[in-house]
Amino acid sequence: MSEKITFKELVELISKQSNQSQNSANSFIHELVEIIEGGLKNSGSVSISGFGKFELRWMNERTGTNPQTGEEIIIPGQNKVIFKPYKALREDVNKPFATLKSTVLTDTEQPAVPEEDKSEAVKEDKTTIPFIAAKTKQVRRSTLSVDELLIEHENPHFPEPDPFSAVPESEEDESKPTPSALPDEEKVAKEVQEAGTFNWSYAAAAIIALIAFIILFFMFQRMGDSPAPATTDQTEQVITPITPDAIPETEPSEPPEPQPPEPQTELETVNYTVEPGESLWTIAESSLGNPYLWPIIYQLNGDLISNPNQLPAVSDIDIPVISDPDNLTEFEREQVALGYFALYEWNRQNNPDEARFFLWAVGVFSPDLLEQPPSEVDPNDLAFALNR
Amino acid sequence: MNYKELIDKLSDQTGNTKTRTKELLGDTITVLSEQLSRGSGVSIPDLGTFSTKVNEERKVYNPHYDAYIMVPPKRVVEFSPAAGLKEKVKYLEPGDE
Repeated sequence: MSEKITFKELVELISKQSNQSQNSANSFIHELVEIIEGGLKNSGSVSISGFGKFELRWMNERTGTNPQTGEEIIIPGQNKVIFKPYKALREDVNKPFATLKSTVLTDTEQPAVPEEDKSEAVKEDKTTIPFIAAKTKQVRRSTLSVDELLIEHENPHFPEPDPFSAVPESEEDESKPTPSALPDEEKVAKEVQEAGTFNWSYAAAAIIALIAFIILFFMFQRMGDSPAPATTDQTEQVITPITPDAIPETEPSEPPEPQPPEPQTELETVNYTVEPGESLWTIAESSLGNPYLWPIIYQLNGDLISNPNQLPAVSDIDIPVISDPDNLTEFEREQVALGYFALYEWNRQNNPDEARFFLWAVGVFSPDLLEQPPSEVDPNDLAFALNR
Repeated sequence: MNYKELIDKLSDQTGNTKTRTKELLGDTITVLSEQLSRGSGVSIPDLGTFSTKVNEERKVYNPHYDAYIMVPPKRVVEFSPAAGLKEKVKYLEPGDE
């Protein structure tokens, strides 16, 4: 493995491959090297398709120790040349190991588990269909008013449950499906690997968002109604301040009068095919114009989507046609509220700590529905929702 | 610099047509990849050394499954730039890129 061919041998091989003299192959490589160097200097990166990309990366100043004297020294910032192989090369090089899959270990102490056990463990663990990697909405910084603060409370709960999205094809994962036995188990195992490689950053983001939320929550409670705690150092806040909250502000002042002359009874829907990487949240954002309307899709497709956090990839779902997402009709609002209510019930079973926020959202979209809930609700949750 | 710019420049300097340059570059890449996938290192003067290394299998925790996962071994390409190249680009301002 550690053998190495000399440059001379390389030139010979290349000249043979391309039917040219060794001299010209030699000078070709030198020209190439010169151009790569020039490209690095001028633009910082050189991409060679089918092979890889050379890049400069700036390394910040750091301290290190002189290994001989044990002294601390400062290593000044400098550029490093890095090479990123492209997929074709990565696959070529990894060929000997391409058929290996990652496996779930049932017993953490045991380094290896017999094949069947592993597969079964995987199956038990998650038998769901084309899988879905957790993905939290990007966190972003924002300056906040009191109103927005309120919204910030609710936010972590909306983006978190939903934006699990269908598995994106993994760039890293070069494993080719082998036509051997146990294709299902292998697939699941592969999914596991994908989920593993992908979720770390998202999981971290989710945790940060949650912590930020908790801190905020307590601060807000303490502050009561005092003016905007602009001092709070919200390092990370989850998501857009465009919210369903903005809508009720205008509505409640003129209660149920402005109903459309003909009350709708059914939503107009169109068919939609879920692509890998999409979630209810993103679909609502792109198709309905407001991501907070995503429960309406959940409501419409209750039979297909059992878990709102997991959207089966490449499935056909119905999505409603909403003409003006900023100005919903009474009927549409009610449907969204029903969607939130369904989510409330789902969360009561699966995520009791956060269920009440969904109930609160029901009230935001349709106060009537909150007063006469379609089925029983927890009195504590109801009090929470009404007090908001 | 993208692939197209690279081919443009390379054909300018070598006096070959672009098609021919693409062929030559393609052949070079083929040979390099072949050598690397055989597991042998290749060093190119003034540019650096390409070599491969095997990342041993390892155990990682996957929070989604709340379980440990054995990631199989993998062979990857390593590149270490030649000393001359390193020095030449070392102190370019990051803004120049």
